[in-house]
Amino acid sequence: MLSALIWLPIIGAAIVAFLPGNISAKITRQISFAIIFAAFIWSLVIAIQFKPESSTQQFIESLPWIDSLGLTYSLGVDGLSLPLLVLNGLLTCIAIYSTDEKIIRPRFYYSLVLLLNAGVSGAFLAQDLLLFFLFYEIELVPLYFLIAIWGGARKNYAAIKFLLYTTVSGILLLAAFLGVVWFSGSTSFAYEPLRTHNLPLGTQLLLLGAILVAFGIKIPLVPLHTWLPDAHVEASTPISVLLAGVLLKLGTYGLLRFGLGLFPEAWQNLAPSLAIWAVVSVLYGAFTAIAQTDMKKMVAYSSIAHMGYILLASAAATPLSLLGCLYQMISHGLISALLFLVVGVVYKKAGTRDINLLCGLLNPERGLPIIGSLMIAGVMASAGIPGMIGFISEFLIFRGSFEAFPVETLLCMIGTGLTSVYFLLLVNRVFFGRLSEKVVDLPQVQWSERIPAAILAGIIILFGVVPSWLGRWTEASTTAMINPQPAIAKVIPAVSFSEAKLP
Amino acid sequence: MSFAELAAQLNAGTILPESIVIATLIVVIMVDLIVGRTSTRWTPYLAVAGLLASVVALFSQWDINNPVSFLGGFNGDALSVVFRGIIALSAAVTILMSISYIEQSGTSLGEFVGILLTATIGGMFLSGANELVMIFISLETLSISSYLLTGYTKRDPRSNEAALKYLLIGASSTAIFLYGVSLLYGLSGGETKLSAIAAGLAAGSGQSLALVIALVFAIAGIAFKISAVPFHQWTPDVYEGSPTPVVAFLSVGSKAAGFALAIRLMVTVFPLVSEQWHFIFTALAILSMVLGNVVALTQTSMKRLLAYSSIAQAGFVMLGLIASTEAGYSSMVFYMLVYLFMNLCGFICVILFSLRTGTDQISEYSGLYQKDPLLTLGLSISLLSLGGIPPLAGFFGKLYLFWAGWQAGLYLLVLLGLITSVVSIYYYIRVVKMMVVKEPQEMSDAVKNYPPISWNFSGMRALQVGLVVTLIATSLAGILSNPLFNLANGSVAKTEMLQSAVISSQVVEATTQVSVIK
Repeated sequence: MLSALIWLPIIGAAIVAFLPGNISAKITRQISFAIIFAAFIWSLVIAIQFKPESSTQQFIESLPWIDSLGLTYSLGVDGLSLPLLVLNGLLTCIAIYSTDEKIIRPRFYYSLVLLLNAGVSGAFLAQDLLLFFLFYEIELVPLYFLIAIWGGARKNYAAIKFLLYTTVSGILLLAAFLGVVWFSGSTSFAYEPLRTHNLPLGTQLLLLGAILVAFGIKIPLVPLHTWLPDAHVEASTPISVLLAGVLLKLGTYGLLRFGLGLFPEAWQNLAPSLAIWAVVSVLYGAFTAIAQTDMKKMVAYSSIAHMGYILLASAAATPLSLLGCLYQMISHGLISALLFLVVGVVYKKAGTRDINLLCGLLNPERGLPIIGSLMIAGVMASAGIPGMIGFISEFLIFRGSFEAFPVETLLCMIGTGLTSVYFLLLVNRVFFGRLSEKVVDLPQVQWSERIPAAILAGIIILFGVVPSWLGRWTEASTTAMINPQPAIAKVIPAVSFSEAKLP
Repeated sequence: MSFAELAAQLNAGTILPESIVIATLIVVIMVDLIVGRTSTRWTPYLAVAGLLASVVALFSQWDINNPVSFLGGFNGDALSVVFRGIIALSAAVTILMSISYIEQSGTSLGEFVGILLTATIGGMFLSGANELVMIFISLETLSISSYLLTGYTKRDPRSNEAALKYLLIGASSTAIFLYGVSLLYGLSGGETKLSAIAAGLAAGSGQSLALVIALVFAIAGIAFKISAVPFHQWTPDVYEGSPTPVVAFLSVGSKAAGFALAIRLMVTVFPLVSEQWHFIFTALAILSMVLGNVVALTQTSMKRLLAYSSIAQAGFVMLGLIASTEAGYSSMVFYMLVYLFMNLCGFICVILFSLRTGTDQISEYSGLYQKDPLLTLGLSISLLSLGGIPPLAGFFGKLYLFWAGWQAGLYLLVLLGLITSVVSIYYYIRVVKMMVVKEPQEMSDAVKNYPPISWNFSGMRALQVGLVVTLIATSLAGILSNPLFNLANGSVAKTEMLQSAVISSQVVEATTQVSVIK
């Protein structure tokens, strides 16, 4: 059942790649959209059959693959991975839908996007460390090509930077996984038996360190983040949507699954420093975003800041904060996808993303009123205005983390305030005021360009109003992540107590 | 000694695969002599058929009960079967890719096939050679034919230069190897059989300076064959100058023979100085991985790039030898199997490109996808596989090597291998980027004047078959690698010398542990 989520896009990619050359780009897009839509529907079917009250892996598939390496093809889904899977399907649909109709080399492009989708789904489903690594690496080359071929002016630089950073991340991950399996004396890379194993603390810290850096590159956390703004600025809009919406989630998902999940003890030791790291990441991202004049770069830095919250919440590791983690992953996926889409439309119509050149785009007659409204909705969600999913996730994270790390949480809350600062700056300059003379005669915005953004905005508000529709899938799993480790629960009051005594 | 007894001692059936190749060789030469030039339309295919028949014969030898033959001169155990298969297959693919290449260079194809088959026989015998004289003769058969092959396009001055360089350095390295071997002969009290030498050494003075010198000299000869740094100096020049099919054979077949010799010699003869040879091979592996990968970054010629890449790959393979565990040896075998496909696939693409455009410069590949999608796909897949990108075959090969190395406790070496493979991804992807990413307006001159694709010339069909077969093998050997894993593991499990070596090293480890505890 779960295999279909991986193999449908892979077979689809093969079909699309070998379509006859005389088929137009438009039809190629329709075919790939049909394939990915089927995969998305399938993920919804899985979600419906999923039993939210159970915290264990469901729909388990397990086949021996390569015994000599201890590699098994085992898939499973739990409350942590299910929402991310659905998000992956949704955003890939949107990315394909919002791709330019007349794109060059359409067959290659769409098959790469489909491969990317398959790789990400596989990583979320994998219940074997090596299998996860395999899928984690599979998305590397497609994404490299997607940036390097269909990117902007400095695409080569950005693509190779992305490639090298991610390869280093992969290598560290492989080293850590080899270490985990070898030191724990296991003969296979299967996830479940490993989880309960307890190593000496020093080894745990070493391995966890490697895993943290590996996923820290992917998430990305300051100072390992420098590839992200470049990659975002050079990538085309649909690829930015996928990159921010789904691929960064591999990092945070991995952090929860393989960092917190495999090393509860070491995690507890490192948690205070992780919280500080999160604060640095949040504040650096937010302050740098304020200084940007390129809209896309601003959104990219805001991404860094928002991903920092997830580190804070996972460092705190209370049931509530972990639930907040999942909310934040989904909400960041939706919101940043919306923002990138809207920025993409503005860029396409106005020909620039420079905040200093654009002005008054909300003008109802000659501007982009609906796109402007959607942008404002996205900005509000990102800044955590109640009634949207951004508020729910940030509230959960801060509420859940405060008892463990009050000071760090307060500092991160400053980051939320800064989000309003830079996004209001952006909205104020670009959308309000008189329409700038430099951007008159904007081409007409098609409904096909508005629909994806509108759908995202709708989901953002929907989950903001009824957050329990999202939480019910996850709560059992995130709670279970804590429960087998009563040690942390004991530590939390102690930590908050000692923090409380500080002046 | 009665005849039956002699026949039993000779046990000549073990060299059936080699006999098939020899028969093919004789037929090819005779036909070339009698029929003349016109026969080249079918003699290469005859040679390929002979090599494949020999591979089939090897299969039938897989479960052989008594592998030792010719009074202990040749050991056809499972390990040698696999290595002989790799060499024969690499020769078969090399012939497929050389037909149109050699015809275009205006030299005789029949002789080329003859020399290549001779080299193959040398390599195959070397993989199973169990006795010093046998080792030396087969090594020389392989080497001398290789010198002839590198200089085969005699109108090309670079080919001549390559041959001379290879001959001079090769001859001196053989001399050093021979000197080392002669020391062994003396130290063991006049034995030539490897197992007898080991026994003689153990009974004699044990670990002595002379033994270490013999070890170093023997390793120097082997390192030359597998082009490990610092014995690699010939590689880039020879690779650049020689006919490309020859390079393909040198980088796979000849290297496989070198590794087979390395395993047999080190494991059987030098258990006494096992610490020393591990140390030397560790140094060689480190140097090869670092230098091969780093120098490859700056290359502008495709053949030189592949030369340095093959040096680096040899460094990775040595990891398995250093690990000296069952998993270590089988990871070497497995890696050589997948390396066979991916490297030959890459070379076929390079030959195809140079046949169509007449150049090997990396910058000339720019924008190739527009004109030749199949060639672009083949070269991209093979290079990405060499770089170890999942889910291609090379990824699993590297993973197995690293996994085996990690299990054997070679943490630093494995980490170094991981780091240098990041470097390698950079230069492999640089070529892929040239072909795939560049826009039509950035197309190179060679690609602009690319001839229309046609497979109808003589020999092109063979090239196409070779390309498609190796391409499919490279793409699928990773995902469906269980048969290959079984083959690699089985070859080690069935090989007596490795089993005893692994067990004895475990015993040594156990005793040291016990003594530590005490």
